[in-house]
Amino acid sequence: MVEKALGKKKPLVDKEILLFAGLLLLLPFVLPFKSLPAEILIYGLGAVSFNILLGYTGLLSFGQAAFFGGGAYLTGILLIHLGWHPGIILILSGLIGAVFAAIIGYLSIQQVGIYFVMLTLAFNQLAFFLAYQWKSVTGGDDGLMNVPRPDFSILPGLKIPIQSNTEFFLFVWVIFVVSFVLIRRVIHSPFGRILLAIRDNPNRSRAVGYNITLYKLVAFVISGFFTGLAGGLFALFMKMVPITAIELLTSTDFIVMTLLGGTGSLYGPVIGAIVTKIASEILSELWARWLFILGVIFVAFVLFMRGGIWGLGVASWNKWKKGQKEALS
Amino acid sequence: MILRTANLTKQFGGLRAVDAVNLEVKEGTIHSIIGPNGAGKTTLFNMLTGEIPPTRGEVHFQGKNITGLKSYQIARIGIGRSFQQNSLFKNLTVLENVRLAAHIHLGGHFSFLRDFRSYLQPIQQAQKILEEIEILDLADQKAGELSHGAQRALEVALALAADPALILLDEPTSGMSPDETIRMIRLIRKLARQRTMIVIEHNMNLVWSISTTITVLHQGQVIATGTPAEIGEHAEVRKAYLGGYSE
Repeated sequence: MVEKALGKKKPLVDKEILLFAGLLLLLPFVLPFKSLPAEILIYGLGAVSFNILLGYTGLLSFGQAAFFGGGAYLTGILLIHLGWHPGIILILSGLIGAVFAAIIGYLSIQQVGIYFVMLTLAFNQLAFFLAYQWKSVTGGDDGLMNVPRPDFSILPGLKIPIQSNTEFFLFVWVIFVVSFVLIRRVIHSPFGRILLAIRDNPNRSRAVGYNITLYKLVAFVISGFFTGLAGGLFALFMKMVPITAIELLTSTDFIVMTLLGGTGSLYGPVIGAIVTKIASEILSELWARWLFILGVIFVAFVLFMRGGIWGLGVASWNKWKKGQKEALS
Repeated sequence: MILRTANLTKQFGGLRAVDAVNLEVKEGTIHSIIGPNGAGKTTLFNMLTGEIPPTRGEVHFQGKNITGLKSYQIARIGIGRSFQQNSLFKNLTVLENVRLAAHIHLGGHFSFLRDFRSYLQPIQQAQKILEEIEILDLADQKAGELSHGAQRALEVALALAADPALILLDEPTSGMSPDETIRMIRLIRKLARQRTMIVIEHNMNLVWSISTTITVLHQGQVIATGTPAEIGEHAEVRKAYLGGYSE
């Protein structure tokens, strides 16, 4: 009875995770675009982190690019000026994402609904203008150029090369999978269940004793950490930081990917990232106004398939299984 | 005295919804609050649970002044409530609804490193409550898909889940069919045996059979407090509210 009502306990790593990680490992083999697989995982990490807020807490944050760009700029600046170990820099990029998320989140969750959304949007614009104006540090409009990508040394004399497309993809893949496992654990923890309760009914969550402002803030901080980490990877990937990394459009990229893939699971946003990145690669070759097509697809999903691609897949699978069962009986 | 209010008042613009109410609730009793619609019963409840701040006056719970505490803080010190309009976690299962409410007073609810199903105590507590409320057989259904009667029962279960010292039930039988009402009355009688409760209710059958004390509110003011027998005899109460209702 308990298992039917609450589902099975999930170990940190299980078959589901191994299968998922294995499938992602195939990306470089099935995609003809050389650098795209790494980019997909970087955006996928950003979208999964965003879904902690949208899918699991019910918070539509337009501020994600501030965390992503924050991580990207910090990584770029530290690599250019101080040349620290990229591992340490990536952790710091996560931390700066978390700090930005704590500030923007704290100020935004004082409001709910549309006012909350507008605040996150305004703070993202503020972050963008800071990056735009502070030319000496960020490069402004031109972007932060010439970010080095040093090899990843583990022990003195032992270095993991991350220069070629394949090497860099594997590097990103490891970080993505570890992050995904951790995020999944958070979602299935008591804390994660309270986030779901808040999304479902904030008033009742409060009435049974949960300080929902605090829980929302922590959700922001966790989302900000992994988004900042994705931003750090993005700087290493591009070997520069374009101003677009902190632009509002990057926030909307994560939103589109997540809604397209489906907010109901952690897999949905990753599927959304894969589909949008591949589609933009193919469509931009065919037609200069390709964003229009993506827009139409997006609107169709939001209007008619609220569960996104993942939700559609799960529904069809259940239908098929039911059909099988009926055929047997 | 588990709960005491002193001159508790709520002013909404020109309307004084609750007017200098002094309420005393003894431990181990069932204290009903009755009164016609608009008498200020739910507003009084909302002030007791921190949902809305009082304009004037104080609330004391177990000897401590709790006026001005937020609703989640009041829930944590041991006051559980149900709502007049169902307020459930509709997309979650019945067991998960109660587990969430039970976990708040048990360890580990702020953990994010272990799977929530590793914490057995809140799950067992939730099962115990569902059994007591007699909806354990619905444990794996989504709260939003239950019948109205079962949703009302779950509403009561959420009030009990964290084992509070004081339980506030806001019209537990509202919107119920006659059959469902009979079941709910039987259920509340059973629960009432070992708990301290304040109940708002329109069903006089229920009020008269469970109450140790009844307080009558009329236009925001207390017009009488006493045992069911005393209230039944009270001339002003009969005029203001009961009419021919009491026998």
